[in-house]
Amino acid sequence: MAIDFELTQEQKELQELARRFARDVMAPRAAKADKLGEFPEDVYRKAWELGLMNLNVPTEFGGSGLGELDQCIITEELAYACGGMTTSISANCLALQPINLAATKEQKERLLKPFCASYNLASFALTEPSGGSDVASMKTTLKREGDEYVINGEKVFITNAPHASIYTLFATVDAARRHKGVTAIVVPRNTPGITVGKDEDKLGHRASATSSITFENARVPVANRLGEEGDGFKIAMNTLDSTRTPIGALATGIARAALDHAAKYSLQRSSFGKPIGEHQAIALKLADMAQKVTAARLLVWYSAWLADQGKPVPMESSIAKCFASDSAMEVANEAIQVFGGYGYMREYPVEKLLRDAKLTQIYEGSNEIQRLVIAKELLKRFA
Amino acid sequence: MDVLVCVKQVPDPETKLRVAPSGKALDTDGVKFTINNTYDEAMVEEALRMKEEFGFTSVRALSVGPARAEEALRATLAMGADEAVLVETPPGMELDPLFTARLLAAAAADIPHDLVLVGRHAQDDEAGAVGSALGEYLGLPSYSFVTELTPVAASHQLKMRRYLEGGEEVFSGPFPAVLSILKGAKDPRTPTLPNILKARKKPLKKIPVKDLEAKVSVLKGGFQPTSAVTSFTLPPPRSGAKMLEFQTPEEAATKLLKVLKEEAKVL
Repeated sequence: MAIDFELTQEQKELQELARRFARDVMAPRAAKADKLGEFPEDVYRKAWELGLMNLNVPTEFGGSGLGELDQCIITEELAYACGGMTTSISANCLALQPINLAATKEQKERLLKPFCASYNLASFALTEPSGGSDVASMKTTLKREGDEYVINGEKVFITNAPHASIYTLFATVDAARRHKGVTAIVVPRNTPGITVGKDEDKLGHRASATSSITFENARVPVANRLGEEGDGFKIAMNTLDSTRTPIGALATGIARAALDHAAKYSLQRSSFGKPIGEHQAIALKLADMAQKVTAARLLVWYSAWLADQGKPVPMESSIAKCFASDSAMEVANEAIQVFGGYGYMREYPVEKLLRDAKLTQIYEGSNEIQRLVIAKELLKRFA
Repeated sequence: MDVLVCVKQVPDPETKLRVAPSGKALDTDGVKFTINNTYDEAMVEEALRMKEEFGFTSVRALSVGPARAEEALRATLAMGADEAVLVETPPGMELDPLFTARLLAAAAADIPHDLVLVGRHAQDDEAGAVGSALGEYLGLPSYSFVTELTPVAASHQLKMRRYLEGGEEVFSGPFPAVLSILKGAKDPRTPTLPNILKARKKPLKKIPVKDLEAKVSVLKGGFQPTSAVTSFTLPPPRSGAKMLEFQTPEEAATKLLKVLKEEAKVL
């Protein structure tokens, strides 16, 4: 028996913990936080208290020390209650992964340990106004002066930026060197010269905060640099390789919520003398939705399982992220259709799922980029 | 001081229950079991609170049940208990509250205990009988529905508090003792993720139920259930609501008023 889809008892317990937290703490706050664009910091603090926040940080530095599959199992449960809150909770994993991957032991003791020991948020600062996926063209500069770097430039769409205490920043020591100039550095939020922009008014993920960050002659010790000058591109790519699959899990959680809402509603609502779920027009939709949710989860688990075996997953993680997020969009869209006019009303929960699903097709590598990666990996096999 | 907490795994309250083909029990096939009885969680919380407040030596957990009951014990370890013992019953073995109490008593004899705690009752069969019976079999005093307790080690006395309808009773009695615990002021703690992972590494001993046969056989009632279930049925479906057909709101109000006055006679 080489394939086993049964979760371990431990994984079932982690899933149950996340499910309870999602149901009891996140879900009751989701609709209001979405409507008002609130940042429910007490929810995030509670997530940290339960150990649901810094999942990918090794336990010796105060994290939960989980592998990718475990992270995916937890992320799907959280996103079932609220995609936006899950984005803010998992943003720490994204921001801290460059430190996990590239920091020295001394840096981890200094930067990671105190950070994880209490409730703190971190932001991953890569995207610039002129582009996200074209990392080699970044314009934010790092100029070395003695033991310090002087930072100038602007980052945009940075999750948790207004509330984070540290930023893992990607900037270039020499724009002419393209991706070979990109360098990663940990920047404390209270560094003079940093201005955080307004909290962006977004279509979805409204319980999460997103802002720009402007650096004007901000000075950071060289000791905070991760790896060598020019290592940043590789660090960023390796980080995104490991957080891509969990984004697929997040999308799967949204899709599963949409399917469950639609299925329940289809049994409550009657037309022409029977529940609409018994009309083939709706039943066939529900069947298609169920296929997408199941397939998305399996792709996510497969990619995460491979990664946990130490295997490279450039193609599998892109397939998981791309398929799960496209599915989330399609399933949420169909859920609204099942709800009919009610689905279009903000009083009902499904229109939020569509708005939340949309972002999963865009962030952490747009689905267009994911498709290019998949095609490139595929064609390598035939070249 | 050593505390022994007895926990029971119960079906998830949200699970759909069916009667087994025998007509004498719940069908456990395909039923999802929760990690723990809600009343036991409150009891475990009280045990852990005492351990923290009074510096007790240990909190150990004990359960009687099939292999899956290990999950309830792991959850208790994740809350903060130090060790666990499962008296493992083979599939299909019948238990009743008194037989369960005899098995617990036999297992508890080998586990250090100054206080033995049980939840007020299990949320599945709601018998609430195990605590008192366990006291009897262990030859210890038992106190029921205690909300808060404070041991006074020097005099071997317990100060106990119990909330009654419209009042509160404070009383005392000697220990070692068996106590059934009601939920107090504090909500049971949620196990944190690191504690769930740590619980995997805490000692959990499994004792096959057969190993306790000799010890249990000498207790009154012996190695078998004392009572037998003759039939088990689910509550009858509630009688249907009356639907009023109407065309206009006025007609609906008139019809409703008539029903409330003449049939329900509430007006």
